[in-house]
Amino acid sequence: MGIRTVKAEASWKTIVKYGVMCAIALLMLIPFLWMISTSLKSPDALLSMPPEFLPLAPRFSNYTDVFSRMPIGLFFFNSLKISVLGTIGELMAASLAAYAFARMQFKGKNILYGLFLATMMVPFQITMIPVFMIIKWLGWMDSQASLIIPHFFGGAFASAAFGIFLLRQFFESIPKELEDASRIDGAGRFRFLIKVILPLSKPALGVLGLFVFMGIWNDLLSPVLFLSSEDKMPLPFGLATLQAAQHTNRYDLLMAGTLVSIIPIILFYILVQRRVSDAFLRTGIKG
Amino acid sequence: MKSSSTGKKRDRGPYLYLAPVLIGLTVFTAGPVIASFLLSFTRWEISTTPVWSGLENYRALFASELFWQVLGNTGYYVLLYVPFSVLTSLGLALLLNQKLRGLAFFRTIFFLPVVTSMVAAALIWGWLYNSDIGLLNYLLSKIGIVGPRWLEDPRWAMPSLVILSVWKNAGYNMMIFLAGLSSISPEFYEAARLDGANAWQRFRSVTLPLLSPVLFFVVIVTTISAFQVFEQTYVLTRGGPANSTLTLSYYIWQTAFQFFNMGGASSMAYVLFILLIVLTFLQFQVRKRWVYEQ
Repeated sequence: MGIRTVKAEASWKTIVKYGVMCAIALLMLIPFLWMISTSLKSPDALLSMPPEFLPLAPRFSNYTDVFSRMPIGLFFFNSLKISVLGTIGELMAASLAAYAFARMQFKGKNILYGLFLATMMVPFQITMIPVFMIIKWLGWMDSQASLIIPHFFGGAFASAAFGIFLLRQFFESIPKELEDASRIDGAGRFRFLIKVILPLSKPALGVLGLFVFMGIWNDLLSPVLFLSSEDKMPLPFGLATLQAAQHTNRYDLLMAGTLVSIIPIILFYILVQRRVSDAFLRTGIKG
Repeated sequence: MKSSSTGKKRDRGPYLYLAPVLIGLTVFTAGPVIASFLLSFTRWEISTTPVWSGLENYRALFASELFWQVLGNTGYYVLLYVPFSVLTSLGLALLLNQKLRGLAFFRTIFFLPVVTSMVAAALIWGWLYNSDIGLLNYLLSKIGIVGPRWLEDPRWAMPSLVILSVWKNAGYNMMIFLAGLSSISPEFYEAARLDGANAWQRFRSVTLPLLSPVLFFVVIVTTISAFQVFEQTYVLTRGGPANSTLTLSYYIWQTAFQFFNMGGASSMAYVLFILLIVLTFLQFQVRKRWVYEQ
Protein backbone atom coordinates (compact mmCIF):
# COMPACT_ATOMS: atom_id res chain seq x y z
CA MET A 1 0.00 0.00 0.00
CA GLY A 2 1.67 3.17 -1.16
CA ILE A 3 1.32 6.71 -0.04
CA ARG A 4 -0.74 7.41 -3.11
CA THR A 5 -3.55 5.01 -2.15
CA VAL A 6 -3.63 6.41 1.36
CA LYS A 7 -3.97 9.88 -0.09
CA ALA A 8 -6.65 8.80 -2.52
CA GLU A 9 -8.57 7.21 0.30
CA ALA A 10 -8.22 10.36 2.37
CA SER A 11 -9.55 12.59 -0.41
CA TRP A 12 -12.45 10.18 -1.00
CA LYS A 13 -13.28 10.46 2.65
CA THR A 14 -13.14 14.24 2.43
CA ILE A 15 -15.55 14.25 -0.49
CA VAL A 16 -17.96 11.99 1.36
CA LYS A 17 -17.75 14.23 4.43
CA TYR A 18 -18.53 17.32 2.40
CA GLY A 19 -21.33 15.45 0.67
CA VAL A 20 -22.92 14.51 3.99
CA MET A 21 -22.54 18.03 5.30
CA CYS A 22 -24.10 19.61 2.23
CA ALA A 23 -27.00 17.17 2.42
CA ILE A 24 -27.66 18.06 6.06
CA ALA A 25 -27.25 21.77 5.36
CA LEU A 26 -29.84 21.46 2.60
CA LEU A 27 -32.17 19.64 4.99
CA MET A 28 -31.79 22.47 7.50
CA LEU A 29 -32.34 25.07 4.80
CA ILE A 30 -35.41 23.54 3.14
CA PRO A 31 -37.89 25.29 5.44
CA PHE A 32 -36.21 28.66 4.72
CA LEU A 33 -36.02 28.02 1.00
CA TRP A 34 -39.66 26.95 0.95
CA MET A 35 -40.62 30.11 2.81
CA ILE A 36 -38.80 32.26 0.24
CA SER A 37 -40.27 30.35 -2.68
CA THR A 38 -43.79 30.57 -1.22
CA SER A 39 -43.43 34.28 -0.57
CA LEU A 40 -42.99 34.86 -4.29
CA LYS A 41 -46.00 32.88 -5.48
CA SER A 42 -49.42 33.92 -6.64
CA PRO A 43 -52.42 32.57 -4.67
CA ASP A 44 -53.10 30.16 -7.54
CA ALA A 45 -49.55 28.88 -7.65
CA LEU A 46 -49.82 28.06 -3.93
CA LEU A 47 -52.37 25.40 -4.69
CA SER A 48 -50.66 23.80 -7.65
CA MET A 49 -49.75 20.14 -7.36
CA PRO A 50 -46.97 19.21 -7.94
CA PRO A 51 -45.73 22.35 -6.25
CA GLU A 52 -43.51 24.81 -8.08
CA PHE A 53 -40.14 24.69 -6.35
CA LEU A 54 -39.12 27.90 -8.05
CA PRO A 55 -42.11 30.13 -8.71
CA LEU A 56 -42.64 30.19 -12.48
CA ALA A 57 -43.76 33.80 -12.34
CA PRO A 58 -42.24 35.29 -9.18
CA ARG A 59 -44.46 37.96 -7.67
CA PHE A 60 -42.26 40.48 -5.97
CA SER A 61 -45.35 42.57 -5.43
CA ASN A 62 -46.16 40.24 -2.53
CA TYR A 63 -43.59 42.18 -0.57
CA THR A 64 -45.28 45.50 -1.20
CA ASP A 65 -48.67 43.87 -0.57
CA VAL A 66 -47.59 42.55 2.78
CA PHE A 67 -46.84 46.11 3.85
CA SER A 68 -49.95 47.66 2.37
CA ARG A 69 -52.52 44.94 3.19
CA MET A 70 -51.13 43.80 6.51
CA PRO A 71 -49.68 46.03 9.24
CA ILE A 72 -46.26 44.42 8.85
CA GLY A 73 -44.54 47.79 8.62
CA LEU A 74 -46.05 48.86 11.92
CA PHE A 75 -45.19 45.53 13.59
CA PHE A 76 -41.66 45.90 12.30
CA PHE A 77 -41.31 49.38 13.73
CA ASN A 78 -42.76 48.22 17.08
CA SER A 79 -40.32 45.30 17.20
CA LEU A 80 -37.39 47.53 16.39
CA LYS A 81 -38.32 50.09 19.03
CA ILE A 82 -38.94 47.53 21.77
CA SER A 83 -35.86 45.47 20.96
CA VAL A 84 -33.41 48.36 20.66
CA LEU A 85 -34.56 50.10 23.84
CA GLY A 86 -34.86 46.84 25.76
CA THR A 87 -31.39 45.71 24.69
CA ILE A 88 -29.85 49.02 25.74
CA GLY A 89 -31.55 48.73 29.13
CA GLU A 90 -30.52 45.16 29.74
CA LEU A 91 -26.92 45.73 28.65
CA MET A 92 -26.69 48.67 31.06
CA ALA A 93 -28.17 46.73 33.97
CA ALA A 94 -26.02 43.67 33.29
CA SER A 95 -22.80 45.69 32.85
CA LEU A 96 -23.27 47.53 36.14
CA ALA A 97 -24.01 44.33 38.04
CA ALA A 98 -21.25 42.32 36.37
CA TYR A 99 -18.78 45.10 37.19
CA ALA A 100 -19.72 44.93 40.85
CA PHE A 101 -19.38 41.13 40.89
CA ALA A 102 -16.12 41.16 38.96
CA ARG A 103 -14.28 44.02 40.62
CA MET A 104 -15.71 44.79 44.04
CA GLN A 105 -15.76 43.11 47.41
CA PHE A 106 -18.94 43.33 49.43
CA LYS A 107 -21.01 41.44 51.92
CA GLY A 108 -23.16 38.64 50.56
CA LYS A 109 -21.46 38.67 47.16
CA ASN A 110 -21.41 34.92 46.64
CA ILE A 111 -24.92 34.39 47.93
CA LEU A 112 -26.27 37.10 45.67
CA TYR A 113 -24.41 35.74 42.68
CA GLY A 114 -25.75 32.26 43.38
CA LEU A 115 -29.23 33.71 43.69
CA PHE A 116 -28.98 35.29 40.26
CA LEU A 117 -27.78 32.08 38.69
CA ALA A 118 -30.59 30.21 40.44
CA THR A 119 -33.20 32.44 38.79
CA MET A 120 -32.31 30.80 35.49
CA MET A 121 -33.92 27.63 36.87
CA VAL A 122 -37.27 29.28 37.61
CA PRO A 123 -39.81 28.44 34.91
CA PHE A 124 -41.79 31.41 33.61
CA GLN A 125 -45.08 29.73 34.52
CA ILE A 126 -44.30 30.30 38.19
CA THR A 127 -43.83 34.05 37.95
CA MET A 128 -46.25 34.71 35.09
CA ILE A 129 -49.38 35.54 37.12
CA PRO A 130 -47.77 37.80 39.76
CA VAL A 131 -45.74 39.59 37.07
CA PHE A 132 -48.96 40.13 35.13
CA MET A 133 -50.52 41.69 38.25
CA ILE A 134 -47.48 43.90 38.82
CA ILE A 135 -47.53 45.17 35.24
CA LYS A 136 -51.24 45.85 35.62
CA TRP A 137 -50.68 47.66 38.92
CA LEU A 138 -47.97 49.78 37.32
CA GLY A 139 -50.47 50.81 34.67
CA TRP A 140 -48.44 49.33 31.81
CA MET A 141 -51.12 46.99 30.51
CA ASP A 142 -51.50 47.27 26.73
CA SER A 143 -48.57 49.65 26.62
CA GLN A 144 -45.14 48.97 25.19
CA ALA A 145 -43.66 50.18 28.47
CA SER A 146 -44.45 46.67 29.75
CA LEU A 147 -42.06 45.24 27.17
CA ILE A 148 -39.30 47.84 27.51
CA ILE A 149 -38.92 49.14 31.04
CA PRO A 150 -38.48 45.76 32.82
CA HIS A 151 -35.31 45.23 30.76
CA PHE A 152 -33.67 48.18 32.51
CA PHE A 153 -34.00 45.97 35.60
CA GLY A 154 -32.87 42.76 33.93
CA GLY A 155 -36.13 41.74 32.25
CA ALA A 156 -39.52 40.52 33.43
CA PHE A 157 -38.96 36.81 32.71
CA ALA A 158 -35.22 36.47 32.66
CA SER A 159 -33.30 38.29 35.32
CA ALA A 160 -30.10 39.40 33.64
CA ALA A 161 -28.39 36.28 35.01
CA PHE A 162 -26.92 35.08 31.74
CA GLY A 163 -25.60 38.53 30.90
CA ILE A 164 -24.11 39.04 34.34
CA PHE A 165 -22.46 35.63 34.07
CA LEU A 166 -21.00 36.30 30.62
CA LEU A 167 -19.80 39.84 31.34
CA ARG A 168 -18.38 39.00 34.76
CA GLN A 169 -16.07 36.44 33.18
CA PHE A 170 -15.00 38.91 30.55
CA PHE A 171 -14.47 41.77 33.00
CA GLU A 172 -12.36 39.53 35.23
CA SER A 173 -10.05 38.77 32.34
CA ILE A 174 -9.13 42.46 32.03
CA PRO A 175 -5.81 43.05 33.83
CA LYS A 176 -6.12 44.51 37.29
CA GLU A 177 -3.11 46.77 36.70
CA LEU A 178 -5.19 48.89 34.35
CA GLU A 179 -7.50 49.73 37.19
CA ASP A 180 -4.70 50.60 39.58
CA ALA A 181 -3.17 52.84 36.94
CA SER A 182 -6.38 54.72 36.37
CA ARG A 183 -6.94 55.01 40.13
CA ILE A 184 -3.70 56.90 40.37
CA ASP A 185 -5.03 59.24 37.71
CA GLY A 186 -7.84 59.89 40.11
CA ALA A 187 -10.51 58.33 37.95
CA GLY A 188 -13.45 56.88 39.89
CA ARG A 189 -14.84 53.41 39.53
CA PHE A 190 -17.69 54.48 37.31
CA ARG A 191 -15.38 56.38 34.99
CA PHE A 192 -13.15 53.32 34.78
CA LEU A 193 -16.10 51.17 33.78
CA ILE A 194 -17.17 53.60 31.07
CA LYS A 195 -13.74 54.58 29.77
CA VAL A 196 -11.79 51.34 30.04
CA ILE A 197 -13.80 48.22 30.80
CA LEU A 198 -16.70 48.68 28.42
CA PRO A 199 -14.62 49.66 25.37
CA LEU A 200 -12.39 46.64 25.98
CA SER A 201 -15.46 44.40 26.29
CA LYS A 202 -16.94 45.11 22.89
CA PRO A 203 -16.74 41.45 21.78
CA ALA A 204 -18.64 40.26 24.85
CA LEU A 205 -21.14 43.10 24.63
CA GLY A 206 -21.70 42.29 20.96
CA VAL A 207 -22.56 38.66 21.67
CA LEU A 208 -24.68 39.51 24.68
CA GLY A 209 -26.34 42.22 22.62
CA LEU A 210 -27.23 39.63 19.99
CA PHE A 211 -28.71 37.23 22.54
CA VAL A 212 -30.68 39.91 24.35
CA PHE A 213 -31.89 41.52 21.13
CA MET A 214 -32.83 38.09 19.80
CA GLY A 215 -34.69 37.24 23.00
CA ILE A 216 -36.76 40.42 22.82
CA TRP A 217 -37.23 40.43 19.03
CA ASN A 218 -38.41 36.80 19.05
CA ASP A 219 -40.43 36.89 22.28
CA LEU A 220 -44.03 35.85 22.14
CA LEU A 221 -44.95 35.39 25.80
CA SER A 222 -44.67 38.95 27.12
CA PRO A 223 -46.66 40.53 24.28
CA VAL A 224 -49.32 37.82 24.60
CA LEU A 225 -49.62 38.56 28.31
CA PHE A 226 -49.45 42.35 28.25
CA LEU A 227 -50.71 43.61 24.90
CA SER A 228 -54.11 43.53 23.26
CA SER A 229 -54.16 46.32 20.65
CA GLU A 230 -52.94 45.26 17.25
CA ASP A 231 -51.18 48.58 16.59
CA LYS A 232 -48.80 47.99 19.49
CA MET A 233 -47.81 44.44 18.65
CA PRO A 234 -44.28 43.39 17.74
CA LEU A 235 -43.75 41.03 14.79
CA PRO A 236 -44.10 37.51 16.29
CA PHE A 237 -47.32 38.29 18.14
CA GLY A 238 -48.58 40.28 15.16
CA LEU A 239 -47.90 37.45 12.71
CA ALA A 240 -49.44 34.85 15.00
CA THR A 241 -52.51 37.05 15.45
CA LEU A 242 -52.88 37.64 11.71
CA GLN A 243 -52.61 33.95 11.01
CA ALA A 244 -55.18 33.08 13.66
CA ALA A 245 -57.55 35.87 12.67
CA GLN A 246 -57.91 35.16 8.99
CA HIS A 247 -57.59 31.36 8.98
CA THR A 248 -55.38 32.19 6.17
CA ASN A 249 -54.87 30.53 2.87
CA ARG A 250 -52.68 33.44 1.88
CA TYR A 251 -49.49 31.65 2.74
CA ASP A 252 -47.75 33.77 0.12
CA LEU A 253 -48.26 36.93 2.17
CA LEU A 254 -47.75 35.18 5.50
CA MET A 255 -44.40 33.78 4.36
CA ALA A 256 -43.35 37.19 3.01
CA GLY A 257 -44.16 38.69 6.41
CA THR A 258 -42.31 35.88 8.16
CA LEU A 259 -39.23 36.49 6.04
CA VAL A 260 -39.37 40.21 6.82
CA SER A 261 -39.53 39.32 10.52
CA ILE A 262 -36.38 37.19 10.52
CA ILE A 263 -34.11 39.22 8.24
CA PRO A 264 -32.86 41.73 10.86
CA ILE A 265 -31.96 39.05 13.37
CA ILE A 266 -30.14 36.96 10.76
CA LEU A 267 -28.14 40.01 9.66
CA PHE A 268 -27.26 40.76 13.29
CA TYR A 269 -26.17 37.15 13.76
CA ILE A 270 -24.01 37.08 10.66
CA LEU A 271 -22.38 40.32 11.82
CA VAL A 272 -21.24 38.86 15.15
CA GLN A 273 -21.24 35.13 14.36
CA ARG A 274 -17.51 34.65 14.88
CA ARG A 275 -17.84 35.99 18.38
CA VAL A 276 -20.83 33.80 19.07
CA SER A 277 -18.73 30.65 18.82
CA ASP A 278 -16.06 32.29 20.98
CA ALA A 279 -18.66 33.05 23.62
CA PHE A 280 -19.75 29.41 23.72
CA LEU A 281 -16.11 28.45 24.23
CA ARG A 282 -15.48 31.14 26.78
CA THR A 283 -18.45 30.48 29.04
CA GLY A 284 -16.85 27.04 29.35
CA ILE A 285 -19.81 25.11 30.62
CA LYS A 286 -18.75 22.58 33.19
CA GLY A 287 -21.25 19.95 34.24
CA MET B 1 -8.62 61.54 51.33
CA LYS B 2 -11.32 62.05 53.88
CA SER B 3 -14.07 60.67 51.72
CA SER B 4 -12.07 57.57 50.87
CA SER B 5 -11.34 56.78 54.51
CA THR B 6 -15.02 56.91 55.45
CA GLY B 7 -15.93 55.14 52.20
CA LYS B 8 -13.66 52.21 53.08
CA LYS B 9 -15.63 51.32 56.17
CA ARG B 10 -19.02 50.94 54.63
CA ASP B 11 -18.84 50.89 50.88
CA ARG B 12 -22.34 51.27 49.52
CA GLY B 13 -20.96 51.50 46.00
CA PRO B 14 -21.40 47.86 44.98
CA TYR B 15 -25.06 47.83 45.96
CA LEU B 16 -25.61 50.93 43.88
CA TYR B 17 -24.26 49.09 40.84
CA LEU B 18 -26.41 46.12 41.66
CA ALA B 19 -29.52 48.16 42.39
CA PRO B 20 -31.26 47.83 39.00
CA VAL B 21 -30.92 44.04 38.79
CA LEU B 22 -31.66 43.62 42.49
CA ILE B 23 -34.91 45.53 42.07
CA GLY B 24 -35.67 43.38 39.04
CA LEU B 25 -34.83 40.19 40.90
CA THR B 26 -37.11 41.13 43.78
CA VAL B 27 -40.03 42.49 41.79
CA PHE B 28 -40.06 40.11 38.84
CA THR B 29 -38.64 36.86 40.22
CA ALA B 30 -38.27 36.40 43.97
CA GLY B 31 -41.48 38.19 44.91
CA PRO B 32 -43.57 36.41 42.27
CA VAL B 33 -42.15 33.00 43.22
CA ILE B 34 -43.44 33.52 46.75
CA ALA B 35 -46.66 35.20 45.65
CA SER B 36 -47.67 32.41 43.32
CA PHE B 37 -46.93 29.86 46.02
CA LEU B 38 -49.43 31.61 48.28
CA LEU B 39 -51.88 32.11 45.44
CA SER B 40 -51.87 28.40 44.76
CA PHE B 41 -53.79 27.99 48.03
CA THR B 42 -56.49 30.47 47.10
CA ARG B 43 -59.63 30.66 45.05
CA TRP B 44 -59.19 33.67 42.80
CA GLU B 45 -60.92 34.63 39.57
CA ILE B 46 -58.87 37.74 38.76
CA SER B 47 -61.78 40.19 39.29
CA THR B 48 -62.55 38.89 42.79
CA THR B 49 -60.21 39.07 45.76
CA PRO B 50 -58.27 35.89 46.53
CA VAL B 51 -59.92 33.68 49.18
CA TRP B 52 -57.86 31.16 51.14
CA SER B 53 -58.95 27.68 50.19
CA GLY B 54 -56.17 25.48 51.54
CA LEU B 55 -55.34 22.48 49.41
CA GLU B 56 -58.53 22.66 47.38
CA ASN B 57 -56.75 23.61 44.12
CA TYR B 58 -54.33 20.73 44.42
CA ARG B 59 -57.10 18.31 45.27
CA ALA B 60 -59.09 19.48 42.27
CA LEU B 61 -56.05 19.13 40.05
CA PHE B 62 -55.26 15.58 40.90
CA ALA B 63 -58.92 14.62 40.64
CA SER B 64 -59.14 16.10 37.16
CA GLU B 65 -58.75 13.64 34.33
CA LEU B 66 -57.72 16.39 31.95
CA PHE B 67 -54.83 17.41 34.21
CA TRP B 68 -53.46 13.86 34.15
CA GLN B 69 -53.77 13.85 30.39
CA VAL B 70 -51.91 17.15 30.27
CA LEU B 71 -49.15 15.70 32.45
CA GLY B 72 -49.00 12.69 30.17
CA ASN B 73 -48.81 14.88 27.06
CA THR B 74 -46.01 16.90 28.60
CA GLY B 75 -44.08 13.77 29.54
CA TYR B 76 -44.60 12.40 26.04
CA TYR B 77 -43.21 15.59 24.50
CA VAL B 78 -40.21 15.58 26.84
CA LEU B 79 -39.45 11.91 26.22
CA LEU B 80 -39.59 12.36 22.46
CA TYR B 81 -37.89 15.72 22.30
CA VAL B 82 -34.96 15.40 24.70
CA PRO B 83 -33.24 12.31 23.23
CA PHE B 84 -34.04 13.25 19.63
CA SER B 85 -32.79 16.78 20.07
CA VAL B 86 -29.67 15.96 22.12
CA LEU B 87 -28.61 13.25 19.66
CA THR B 88 -29.18 15.55 16.68
CA SER B 89 -27.08 18.28 18.28
CA LEU B 90 -24.34 15.81 19.17
CA GLY B 91 -24.34 14.43 15.63
CA LEU B 92 -24.06 17.89 14.11
CA ALA B 93 -21.26 18.81 16.52
CA LEU B 94 -19.29 15.63 15.73
CA LEU B 95 -19.72 16.35 12.05
CA LEU B 96 -18.33 19.86 12.48
CA ASN B 97 -15.54 18.81 14.81
CA GLN B 98 -13.14 17.94 12.02
CA LYS B 99 -10.25 19.51 10.27
CA LEU B 100 -11.94 20.64 7.10
CA ARG B 101 -12.20 23.93 5.30
CA GLY B 102 -15.41 25.90 5.26
CA LEU B 103 -16.79 24.50 8.50
CA ALA B 104 -17.70 27.99 9.73
CA PHE B 105 -20.09 28.22 6.81
CA PHE B 106 -21.90 25.02 7.81
CA ARG B 107 -21.89 26.04 11.45
CA THR B 108 -23.62 29.28 10.49
CA ILE B 109 -26.28 27.40 8.53
CA PHE B 110 -26.94 24.91 11.33
CA PHE B 111 -27.32 27.82 13.75
CA LEU B 112 -29.74 29.83 11.58
CA PRO B 113 -32.91 28.21 12.97
CA VAL B 114 -31.76 29.13 16.49
CA VAL B 115 -31.80 32.85 15.77
CA THR B 116 -35.16 32.57 14.01
CA SER B 117 -38.15 33.16 16.25
CA MET B 118 -40.25 30.15 17.24
CA VAL B 119 -43.26 31.95 15.82
CA ALA B 120 -41.61 32.27 12.40
CA ALA B 121 -40.42 28.66 12.58
CA ALA B 122 -43.89 27.47 13.56
CA LEU B 123 -45.54 29.43 10.74
CA ILE B 124 -43.12 27.95 8.20
CA TRP B 125 -43.55 24.42 9.49
CA GLY B 126 -47.31 24.81 9.72
CA TRP B 127 -47.22 25.41 5.98
CA LEU B 128 -44.79 22.52 5.36
CA TYR B 129 -47.12 20.25 7.36
CA ASN B 130 -50.22 21.23 5.40
CA SER B 131 -51.81 17.84 4.70
CA ASP B 132 -53.21 18.63 1.27
CA ILE B 133 -50.84 21.05 -0.42
CA GLY B 134 -47.84 20.99 1.92
CA LEU B 135 -44.34 20.27 0.72
CA LEU B 136 -43.70 17.50 3.21
CA ASN B 137 -46.51 15.22 2.09
CA TYR B 138 -45.66 15.92 -1.53
CA LEU B 139 -42.06 14.80 -0.97
CA LEU B 140 -43.27 11.74 0.92
CA SER B 141 -45.65 10.85 -1.90
CA LYS B 142 -42.65 10.94 -4.26
CA ILE B 143 -41.12 8.03 -2.34
CA GLY B 144 -44.42 6.20 -2.18
CA ILE B 145 -45.53 7.17 1.31
CA VAL B 146 -48.94 8.61 2.02
CA GLY B 147 -48.12 11.28 4.57
CA PRO B 148 -50.19 11.63 7.73
CA ARG B 149 -52.44 14.60 8.40
CA TRP B 150 -49.72 16.01 10.61
CA LEU B 151 -51.26 18.67 12.81
CA GLU B 152 -54.84 17.47 12.43
CA ASP B 153 -54.21 13.91 13.56
CA PRO B 154 -54.10 13.44 17.36
CA ARG B 155 -51.45 10.74 16.94
CA TRP B 156 -49.21 12.90 14.76
CA ALA B 157 -49.68 16.40 16.17
CA MET B 158 -47.23 15.99 19.04
CA PRO B 159 -44.48 14.34 16.97
CA SER B 160 -44.95 17.19 14.47
CA LEU B 161 -44.26 19.74 17.20
CA VAL B 162 -41.23 17.70 18.28
CA ILE B 163 -39.74 17.69 14.77
CA LEU B 164 -40.24 21.43 14.48
CA SER B 165 -38.62 22.03 17.88
CA VAL B 166 -35.63 19.82 17.09
CA TRP B 167 -35.04 21.67 13.83
CA LYS B 168 -35.38 25.01 15.58
CA ASN B 169 -33.15 24.29 18.58
CA ALA B 170 -30.55 21.71 17.50
CA GLY B 171 -27.99 24.36 16.59
CA TYR B 172 -27.87 25.72 20.12
CA ASN B 173 -26.76 22.54 21.87
CA MET B 174 -24.53 21.84 18.89
CA MET B 175 -22.50 24.93 19.81
CA ILE B 176 -22.20 23.78 23.42
CA PHE B 177 -21.05 20.32 22.27
CA LEU B 178 -18.57 21.90 19.87
CA ALA B 179 -17.08 23.92 22.72
CA GLY B 180 -16.84 20.73 24.78
CA LEU B 181 -15.28 18.76 21.95
CA SER B 182 -12.67 21.41 21.27
CA SER B 183 -11.43 21.12 24.85
CA ILE B 184 -10.59 17.42 24.43
CA SER B 185 -6.86 17.15 23.89
CA PRO B 186 -5.92 15.59 20.52
CA GLU B 187 -3.33 13.48 22.32
CA PHE B 188 -6.07 11.17 23.60
CA TYR B 189 -7.14 10.45 20.04
CA GLU B 190 -3.60 9.84 18.89
CA ALA B 191 -3.03 7.40 21.72
CA ALA B 192 -6.25 5.58 20.85
CA ARG B 193 -5.29 5.51 17.19
CA LEU B 194 -1.91 3.98 18.04
CA ASP B 195 -3.77 1.29 19.96
CA GLY B 196 -5.61 0.54 16.73
CA ALA B 197 -8.99 1.88 17.83
CA ASN B 198 -11.44 2.53 14.99
CA ALA B 199 -13.67 5.60 14.77
CA TRP B 200 -16.48 4.06 16.83
CA GLN B 201 -14.09 2.81 19.51
CA ARG B 202 -12.46 6.22 19.70
CA PHE B 203 -15.90 7.76 20.15
CA ARG B 204 -16.87 5.22 22.84
CA SER B 205 -13.68 5.34 24.84
CA VAL B 206 -12.40 8.89 24.37
CA THR B 207 -15.08 11.31 23.18
CA LEU B 208 -18.02 10.06 25.19
CA PRO B 209 -16.38 9.88 28.63
CA LEU B 210 -14.60 13.20 28.20
CA LEU B 211 -17.71 14.85 26.88
CA SER B 212 -20.00 13.38 29.53
CA PRO B 213 -20.00 16.44 31.85
CA VAL B 214 -21.12 18.62 28.94
CA LEU B 215 -23.63 15.99 27.86
CA PHE B 216 -25.03 15.95 31.37
CA PHE B 217 -25.39 19.73 31.43
CA VAL B 218 -27.11 19.71 28.03
CA VAL B 219 -29.56 16.97 29.03
CA ILE B 220 -30.58 18.87 32.18
CA VAL B 221 -31.06 22.22 30.49
CA THR B 222 -32.87 20.67 27.53
CA THR B 223 -35.19 18.75 29.84
CA ILE B 224 -36.07 21.87 31.81
CA SER B 225 -36.78 23.85 28.66
CA ALA B 226 -38.79 20.98 27.15
CA PHE B 227 -41.20 21.09 30.08
CA GLN B 228 -41.94 24.70 29.20
CA VAL B 229 -42.97 24.18 25.58
CA PHE B 230 -45.47 26.93 24.83
CA GLU B 231 -45.04 28.86 21.61
CA GLN B 232 -45.31 25.92 19.22
CA THR B 233 -48.64 25.01 20.77
CA TYR B 234 -49.82 28.61 20.84
CA VAL B 235 -49.16 29.18 17.15
CA LEU B 236 -49.98 25.81 15.62
CA THR B 237 -52.40 23.69 17.61
CA ARG B 238 -53.79 25.59 20.60
CA GLY B 239 -53.64 22.30 22.47
CA GLY B 240 -55.65 20.36 19.88
CA PRO B 241 -56.63 18.20 18.15
CA ALA B 242 -58.58 16.42 20.88
CA ASN B 243 -56.25 17.89 23.54
CA SER B 244 -53.41 15.82 22.11
CA THR B 245 -50.90 18.68 22.30
CA LEU B 246 -52.25 20.31 25.45
CA THR B 247 -49.06 20.60 27.47
CA LEU B 248 -48.63 21.81 31.03
CA SER B 249 -47.24 25.18 30.07
CA TYR B 250 -49.98 25.99 27.60
CA TYR B 251 -52.67 24.66 29.94
CA ILE B 252 -51.41 26.88 32.77
CA TRP B 253 -51.55 29.92 30.50
CA GLN B 254 -55.06 28.94 29.35
CA THR B 255 -56.31 28.35 32.87
CA ALA B 256 -55.00 31.71 34.03
CA PHE B 257 -55.69 34.00 31.10
CA GLN B 258 -58.61 32.42 29.29
CA PHE B 259 -60.51 30.73 32.13
CA PHE B 260 -59.30 33.29 34.73
CA ASN B 261 -58.72 30.62 37.34
CA MET B 262 -55.60 32.21 38.82
CA GLY B 263 -55.46 30.03 41.93
CA GLY B 264 -55.76 26.83 39.93
CA ALA B 265 -53.13 27.98 37.44
CA SER B 266 -50.74 28.83 40.28
CA SER B 267 -51.11 25.38 41.78
CA MET B 268 -50.36 23.82 38.38
CA ALA B 269 -47.30 26.03 38.01
CA TYR B 270 -46.07 24.78 41.35
CA VAL B 271 -46.64 21.17 40.36
CA LEU B 272 -44.47 21.89 37.33
CA PHE B 273 -41.84 23.60 39.46
CA ILE B 274 -41.64 20.74 41.93
CA LEU B 275 -41.53 18.26 39.08
CA LEU B 276 -38.56 20.10 37.60
CA ILE B 277 -36.75 20.29 40.93
CA VAL B 278 -37.26 16.58 41.63
CA LEU B 279 -36.20 15.64 38.13
CA THR B 280 -33.06 17.75 38.26
CA PHE B 281 -32.24 16.28 41.66
CA LEU B 282 -32.65 12.75 40.29
CA GLN B 283 -30.48 13.56 37.31
CA PHE B 284 -27.77 14.75 39.66
CA GLN B 285 -28.10 11.49 41.58
CA VAL B 286 -27.51 9.34 38.52
CA ARG B 287 -24.79 11.71 37.38
CA LYS B 288 -22.23 9.93 39.51
CA ARG B 289 -22.85 6.73 37.59
CA TRP B 290 -22.27 7.89 34.08
CA VAL B 291 -20.39 11.15 34.16
CA TYR B 292 -16.67 10.70 33.94
CA GLU B 293 -14.80 13.00 36.32
CA GLN B 294 -11.35 14.03 35.25
